[in-house]
Amino acid sequence: MSINYTRISALIFLLIFLVYSYLAGEIRVFSFDENADFNARTFPKFISYLGIAVSFLTLVLSKNEDESFGQYEWLKVFVLFVLVFTYGIIIKSVGFFLSTNLFLLISYYYLGVRSYKTLLLCSFPVVAGLQFMLHELLDVYIRDPFLHYLGVIS
Amino acid sequence: MIEGILIGVDTAFSGYNIIMVMLGCFAGTIIGMLPGLGPMSAIALMIPITYGFDPASAMILMAGVYYGAIFGGSTSSILINAPGVAGTVSSSFDGYPMAKNGQAGKALAIAAYASFSGGTIAALFLLVAAPQLARVSLSFQSADYFALMCVGLLSIAAFASKGQFLKAMVMTALGLALATVGQDSLSDITRFAFGNINLMDGISFVLLVMATFAMSEAFMIIFKKMDIGFKASDVSKEKLGSIKLSKDEVKEMIPVVGRTSILGFLVGVLPGAGATIASFLAWGFERSIASAKEKLKFGKGSIKGLTAPETANNAACTGSFVPLLTLGIPGSGTTAVMLGALLSFGVQPGPRLYVEQPELFWAVIVSMYIGNVVLLVLNLPLIPYIARILAIPKNILVPLVLFFSVTGVYLISFNAFDIYFMAIVAILSLVLRILKYPMPPLILGFILGGMLEKNLRRALLINDGSFSFMWERPISLALFIIMILIILLQIYQGLKKEQN
Repeated sequence: MSINYTRISALIFLLIFLVYSYLAGEIRVFSFDENADFNARTFPKFISYLGIAVSFLTLVLSKNEDESFGQYEWLKVFVLFVLVFTYGIIIKSVGFFLSTNLFLLISYYYLGVRSYKTLLLCSFPVVAGLQFMLHELLDVYIRDPFLHYLGVIS
Repeated sequence: MIEGILIGVDTAFSGYNIIMVMLGCFAGTIIGMLPGLGPMSAIALMIPITYGFDPASAMILMAGVYYGAIFGGSTSSILINAPGVAGTVSSSFDGYPMAKNGQAGKALAIAAYASFSGGTIAALFLLVAAPQLARVSLSFQSADYFALMCVGLLSIAAFASKGQFLKAMVMTALGLALATVGQDSLSDITRFAFGNINLMDGISFVLLVMATFAMSEAFMIIFKKMDIGFKASDVSKEKLGSIKLSKDEVKEMIPVVGRTSILGFLVGVLPGAGATIASFLAWGFERSIASAKEKLKFGKGSIKGLTAPETANNAACTGSFVPLLTLGIPGSGTTAVMLGALLSFGVQPGPRLYVEQPELFWAVIVSMYIGNVVLLVLNLPLIPYIARILAIPKNILVPLVLFFSVTGVYLISFNAFDIYFMAIVAILSLVLRILKYPMPPLILGFILGGMLEKNLRRALLINDGSFSFMWERPISLALFIIMILIILLQIYQGLKKEQN
């Protein structure tokens, strides 16, 4: 049995479902429910049996397929992931408008957009339009310290 | 029933809902056209927008998006041989050769007329079939529902995962496991939250759909260096050619539309089958019954070869609403997302929906017809303009999709934790996709998990903890036999593949 990415992933899933099975047995149930026909542990246990069975079968029965990760753009995806993460960190403190525009501008620039016209047209009007739609049309209020500071929203 | 239909017509024809259908079709066409972004991503992106809407309007908008996305997928299939949606892959077999021969406008017109006819005929079938099935399903008990959901999960894994049955089953189990995170609906006991307050309410359905579809699709576009190199000038009116069809061409289309709309509808009703299988089956079926001379044209720009998949995929889309609206069981990944959206509106689809909320039930059915008209009347003439969306470079498109995904999730909870969690899930989905783990079974497992547990609990409590309901109730027994047959079929196919 040779090692391939599918087998490695199946092994990881097998371990996940084994841990899940253990945790399912550890779910605290009310004492009167302990020996009931169905309690909060029952369904997760069934799922873990299913998960263990299918991931084990995948591990044993999977064939060698063309699996190569070399030609992909790992770095770009990782940078975008970091940008999304950072966007999540600053959205509350900086506010929706500024953080979103920063996220869009940096993402466009990182992915190769160099025209200032495109950078500005594809960020500020889009975010302002969406925020206007949310505030004025859909009555969804987004707290925004930056726009509040500028006096645009109350 | 007549009263219900009239209420539905009244709801669907209100000015507000007609605008919803038009917006849905328009947005769906644009998103569906973009390679990589299919109807599931399109509908997922619409969910946060619809939170302020009433359920009927939201469903009408989403139905419009669904149709629009399928139509948009056909457009990119025909124009650039890059199907935005799996259900339109077979449209490119004959649509793209027609476009290369300078008949792109004609090919798009055939696609639009065939989609319209398939959707319309199937909407009529739905009108008749849905109430009948809803009546039958009133006799269903918990055990039968449990069995039906198991059949749904198994069918999606078996038929919608391109030969990756075991991997699809792993994803189903994972989806079911994710559904158990948070409070147990009956006992209120918190499970698998690991003391994290953000997980105590469970994982948000919108978060999971956005992360596994919209966001991971955006990452995939960058990851695989997908760029279609399409220029706006490629879809100028001159290059598209005429969209008028001759009498002979229409005559050639009519019998194909009749046959493949029935086929598409029936395939769409089956859990797990859906538009992709329907369109391939229809293309293969028409080719097999064609004369030897016509057979040679298939794959080289045959009108029948384009009409068949286009009719069938739209008919299948309509058909997939039958199990959703009457049984509350989604037949495809896309209707699973719609089910999740309905549940978040507090609407429980199923046989009672037909009785208790006729305005929603019938309005959705009627609006499907309106959606088909909108696609034909508005979108077809606008194709030269709408298709320019294909010229959007990926370095603009990807940040926009990421932005809409993040905003969609953030607007529901205003919790930054959801953004981090979403980004992690999207990266994991990307890796799983590369390893050919299909995502629709994960979503279906996640959405059906809660209902599956509830019905299994009831069935077991009624039967004193015994699984005898599996063979004591005829409906459950029949459904479990179907499950065994599906598993045996998978084993047989696996062995056959091994021999080959």
